[in-house]
Amino acid sequence: MKLNRRNFFKLAGVAGAGALATGAKTAEAWESKAPKDPFGCLVDLSRCVGCRKCEQGCNEVNKLLPPERPFVDMLLLNEKRRPDANSYTVVNRYFTGKSDEQDHLLPTYVKIQCMHCQDPACVSACLVGALTKKESGAVHYDVSKCIGCRYCMVACPFEIPAYEYFDPLTPRVRKCTFCFERIEKEGGVPACAAICPVEAITFGKRSSLLDQARTRMKKDPARYIDHIYGEHEVGGTSWLYLSDVEFNKVDFQDLPSEPIPKLPETIQHSLFSYLWSPIALFGVLSVVMANAKSKKNKEDES
Amino acid sequence: MSHSPSATHSKFFTPGVWVMLVFMFIGAVAVAARFTWGIGSVTNLDNSHPWGLWIGIDVATGVALAAGGFTTSFLAHIIGRHHYEVIVRPAILTAMLGYTFVVLGLLVDIGRTWAIWKPIFSWNTNSALFEVAMCVLVYLHVLYFEFAPTVGEGIGGRVKTLVTAVTDKIMWIFIILGVVLSCMHQSSLGTLMLIAPTKLHPLWYTPLLPLLFLTSAIAVGFPMVVFETTLVSSSLKLDSEMKILTPLTRITIFILGLYMVLKVGDLVYRDVLGYLLDGSTQSNSFLVELGFGVILPWLLLITPGVRKSRGMLFFTCCLIVGGVVLNRINVFLVGYHSPYAQTSYFPAIGEIVVTAGLIAALMFLYRLAVTFLPVLSASKQEVSS
Amino acid sequence: MIRLLNRQGVSVFAVVSAMLFCCNSTQASSTSEWTAPDQEAAKEFAALPVELIVNIKDESPYERSLRLLDQGLSIKDMPSHYFLLDSPIIKKQEDRYGPVRFMHAKHARLVRDCAVCHHYRPEDPAVKEINRCSACHQDAFDPRVVDRTGLKAAYHLQCMECHREMAKGPLSCTGCHDKKIPDHVKLIKLVDKPEPSQVTEECLRCHENQGRDMLKTAHWLWRGPSTHTVGRSKEIEIGKGTIAFNNY
Repeated sequence: MKLNRRNFFKLAGVAGAGALATGAKTAEAWESKAPKDPFGCLVDLSRCVGCRKCEQGCNEVNKLLPPERPFVDMLLLNEKRRPDANSYTVVNRYFTGKSDEQDHLLPTYVKIQCMHCQDPACVSACLVGALTKKESGAVHYDVSKCIGCRYCMVACPFEIPAYEYFDPLTPRVRKCTFCFERIEKEGGVPACAAICPVEAITFGKRSSLLDQARTRMKKDPARYIDHIYGEHEVGGTSWLYLSDVEFNKVDFQDLPSEPIPKLPETIQHSLFSYLWSPIALFGVLSVVMANAKSKKNKEDES
Repeated sequence: MSHSPSATHSKFFTPGVWVMLVFMFIGAVAVAARFTWGIGSVTNLDNSHPWGLWIGIDVATGVALAAGGFTTSFLAHIIGRHHYEVIVRPAILTAMLGYTFVVLGLLVDIGRTWAIWKPIFSWNTNSALFEVAMCVLVYLHVLYFEFAPTVGEGIGGRVKTLVTAVTDKIMWIFIILGVVLSCMHQSSLGTLMLIAPTKLHPLWYTPLLPLLFLTSAIAVGFPMVVFETTLVSSSLKLDSEMKILTPLTRITIFILGLYMVLKVGDLVYRDVLGYLLDGSTQSNSFLVELGFGVILPWLLLITPGVRKSRGMLFFTCCLIVGGVVLNRINVFLVGYHSPYAQTSYFPAIGEIVVTAGLIAALMFLYRLAVTFLPVLSASKQEVSS
Repeated sequence: MIRLLNRQGVSVFAVVSAMLFCCNSTQASSTSEWTAPDQEAAKEFAALPVELIVNIKDESPYERSLRLLDQGLSIKDMPSHYFLLDSPIIKKQEDRYGPVRFMHAKHARLVRDCAVCHHYRPEDPAVKEINRCSACHQDAFDPRVVDRTGLKAAYHLQCMECHREMAKGPLSCTGCHDKKIPDHVKLIKLVDKPEPSQVTEECLRCHENQGRDMLKTAHWLWRGPSTHTVGRSKEIEIGKGTIAFNNY
């Protein structure tokens, strides 16, 4: 029995060393899991007229509750709103100092919704994989897997996922779905893009939208600032923004171009892929423990 | 000191126990409200502050402070410092109760409590939280297994024989597993916040966060043992165990020192010292954490007089424990900055009473266990002394 | 609202709704009798399918203006003075507002430069110089013409930007559109031979705000004589605000 145990410890030690070697080998560089040719939307802030029709279209298509104040109520634009559990998208109004020839201040309207990141932090964070990035580009939430831990909300750099805090047992995480059921059908368009009267939201393949954005900037350089928000932010997002005012004036954050999951995933995988480190540690500790034990036995004998 | 562990059989319903029961009752009321009207009805959580006191204290701090379990069993069982064995049982008891309450806290905090089992079948190995969840789940059962012999002894008779027969031969696996799992999830708790680089304050956001969490957890292990042993021996009027505790904290000098070097070195290396004196809540909180939770207790610990004085040692260990508690609160709450929040987060009464109720329940069960099960080894003080 | 209902148990809303129905019926009967010929023509023209012009000539707005001037195109060459902007292309996606009546001639006389709106010409020399909007702008996000807006956005962008720049012309939705009023026959749920108060109640089911507003208007508060309206002078001498029942 004792011999067996000693043997096992040795074996464990070898296994641990082996695991260490494979682990070191498999801890390769992090790779983006972004879909190759996703859909996206290009929001042109210089076109948006703040009519809130996108909010209305979104509400109807996603069968959300009717809003407390009707969509034609433009007084709501006096406050800064955020998407919440019952509104996947909201439009805010900013006065950035831009004015017309008569010195009237001109508003800039900003539509906010899930950016559908190329490498979404929420998808990386969700422990049960309830959030996934689809090939279409949509970041999809599957309520049947969700446990309601809200780690996705902690992870999201855009602070988009909202939560049904007043549902005692079955709260859901709520966010823009990119109308994934519509866009995955031939010719399907997200509700907000379909209803927008001025095509402030252009729907298409992300690669094509980037080209279109550059074309628009080239055709009218005086109109746009030279930045496509979402092209590089957090490794790229499916939703892109063009603007005629500086983005930080309308509450866009300066974000790093590194995909957010890169660091935590690199750490997780280099430490734990194939569980090499726990196995190695287990092996080492078994050897240590066995040695300590045999030493004690010897002392006891002498 | 050579006493074998025995039940204290002290008087159970002391005024302190009644106070705990009151706290437990109030907490239970808040929990009932949470399960009737939702998390929003008892907390100040919102879309900008998805994690609050329950995650910061009940879960993150709970896990850290339960580190005494694996650090003492490593010391006594794995590297064979057997004279420390007297503190293993109480430490394992604390860890077991600690983790039980981590899970209870989680059950209150997660929205879909009934779905808590889902991570067992639905895996996302990219997620640090998945690893934490799995480790906590397994480790909780490891702890129950490690504590089983104590329960067996307490019941005695055939149960004891049976439990000993089952656990004796394979206990070593569980002891090692306990250490391995602890190292894994103590560090991964630090990885959790690495998913929010734009939200976590630069004083805390560092790729070293997992390592800092692990070292601080190991560093707080023995101080936590000192803390609770001193409390328990005072409360139950037991002999002081300074002969064990003084050498124990000598080990802490090295680990806490390592933590201090890592933490300060990281600040210097990342060139974020400028944030230290900007007067913000965050920088003040960091200064308190580092100054009173790490540097001051370390300076105290290297003084031999402090290690030998029961009162000073208790005070020092309180500082270390407080430092780690504050660190976890800082990382999960104070340092968490929402880019769009209109208000800042402060826990609601409902959150505080649930947390207080859980801690009271933990202490209640601890007292229940040491009263009726062979956990503590110290002998009763003579009445005259 | 309670006040509105209780007051004398009769309703002003019944009047309003009766008037509405009355108007509808007269309208219906009048269309069968007489139609504006240009409106009918405009309707037909709006519904005509148009083939998409994919390729356009790449030229600056200035070149374009000059060339149109060279060709001597003027207001006299306009085929139509009036258009109804009511394309099936738009209605395919969204159909919330009524069609826009567009005074083409009026705009042309004000703007004078055809190239302001007819800003590109087809690349194919065989195609005529000036085409309708929907010849180039059709479905939104058409992959064949990625840099081109769809018809709905083309209208809105062209009209609204110009209206804003000129500080002339409507900018709000209903400045150009009739709000598409849903068919109330399907929406209204009333028992047979309803009491006037029941009718009011039914109106208020959706139009609560309008009901509240109504209570503040002279139609409700009027205290002067009201016998001067021909054919409606049912001896209400001191106004609705005092004793009147509904003036059927």
